[in-house]
Amino acid sequence: MRWGMVVDLSSCVRCYACVAACRIEHFLPMGMSWPRLVALDTGGDNPAVSTYSVRCNQCKDAPCVEVCPTGATQQRDDGIVWVDQDKCVGCRYCVIACPYQNRTFLSRDKDKGFFPGVVQTDFEKAGKKIYTHQVGTTEKCNFCMERIDTGLAKGLRPGIDREATPACVNTCPARALTFGDLDDPDSEVSRLIKEKKGFQLHPEYDTDPSIYFIDGKIGQADAIKVEDDSRQEPAPTGVER
Amino acid sequence: MEIHEWMVNYTRQTEWIDRRGIFLWIAFYAGGLGGGLYLVSLYFNSLWGMFISWLIIAVIKGGAHLIYLGKPLRFWRIITRPNTSWLARGIIFVFSFIVFAAIQLMFSHWLPGSAAEIAFKVLAGIAALAVTVYTGFVLNTVKSVPFWNSTLLPLLFVLCGILGGFGLSVIIALNGGNIALSAAETGSRWLLIINALLVIIYLWTAANREVTGKKSVMEQMRGSLAPVFWIGIVLLGIIIPLTIAFTSLMMGEIPPALLIAGVVCEVIGGLALRYCVLKAGAYKPLVAILR
Repeated sequence: MRWGMVVDLSSCVRCYACVAACRIEHFLPMGMSWPRLVALDTGGDNPAVSTYSVRCNQCKDAPCVEVCPTGATQQRDDGIVWVDQDKCVGCRYCVIACPYQNRTFLSRDKDKGFFPGVVQTDFEKAGKKIYTHQVGTTEKCNFCMERIDTGLAKGLRPGIDREATPACVNTCPARALTFGDLDDPDSEVSRLIKEKKGFQLHPEYDTDPSIYFIDGKIGQADAIKVEDDSRQEPAPTGVER
Repeated sequence: MEIHEWMVNYTRQTEWIDRRGIFLWIAFYAGGLGGGLYLVSLYFNSLWGMFISWLIIAVIKGGAHLIYLGKPLRFWRIITRPNTSWLARGIIFVFSFIVFAAIQLMFSHWLPGSAAEIAFKVLAGIAALAVTVYTGFVLNTVKSVPFWNSTLLPLLFVLCGILGGFGLSVIIALNGGNIALSAAETGSRWLLIINALLVIIYLWTAANREVTGKKSVMEQMRGSLAPVFWIGIVLLGIIIPLTIAFTSLMMGEIPPALLIAGVVCEVIGGLALRYCVLKAGAYKPLVAILR
């Protein structure tokens, strides 16, 4: 069994519901976002805005697991890569090693609260008790493994039964996200990948991500002709993560 | 609609150089310098050199590493898992050096010439070399940053560390330490030349690795890192020390102040080299810009 996700790029309506659902599910601090929507102007003669929903790729050969010096980043038998925050020492080697830049170090300035210095909302108070986030450690999407584990214990099927399915998948109003077992050839995700030629991001790194994209053209950065060099310069300063 | 630049452009890594990442930069350089100085001091059998190198690694490098960690009180977790990564192995090398070199210094002070002193010199020497080289492996095993993904990086860091060690040994020699000044100067001279050549080869190979590697090199030579590269690495790290070294070679003797100035320039050059390597490390875009 290996959990995976398919993102249908043509269906995404960039409503940010997946981002909001994850924030609510995991009581994420203001400066932290596990799934992210990448919006970009495609440029050219017929410019358009494209949006891609990205999150931790739960790689089969995850570089973050390989480099973690404390064993805080671990991979389960079902392929989910997660961080044991009680073991994380905050060295950020995993953040550096992730080719998809999908891990975030929770620094103090990312956890100021929704209304810093004014009031702590009931949502934040509940989060401190239910889903703690430790400042000084690294975080990332974990495919809502708590929901999956609880659901499986009740005999539910992740990807099919809502109670056992990741919050972002449940919430997506455009049904752009599909979740299921990649090892099951009859699962919806396997069918979509096969029929619509799903592809992974940056396959050249041999990480074998568990997230596939369909109906789009992303991840082939080196194949794109660089026409406007100024646009391709590295960002001069630290950027939002 | 917000455009996430870090997803669609070549973006440099920030965690290991910006804000508190500066401590990691200092730790990486201090490891090279301290390890290099210990090896040079072993060659000259200079107790002062060995003691200073121990201070550099134990206090500056160790302290900077601890300050950088998000959860410093959990640092012990790193040294219990050497099989995980070069970072874990590196911290083990640092601890080994601190212990072996401390014991060796005690033997050298109270029981010089004993078999135990020689044994701990060998152990501490091996640990010092490992401390000098491991940062190169920490970086060059990161596949996602093509600029670092080079087998030359560990060699560059080792030679840069030993160069700094020779530099500091010149200052120790000027202050009456047990080091032959002329030998220290000769070592510095050769290493400066080799280091300069290695920097050129490293940049040339990085620029030809892939588009992202080229971007990193161009960022240093023409982008926002250009002042650090040209002034820090080229002028202060190579040209000025080389000029002083060859002036000393031709004139026979030059004022100690000039020698010290050369060493200070070498140290700044080494710092600038580590800074540029860390700062220029960039990822390729996650999402290609369609044109």
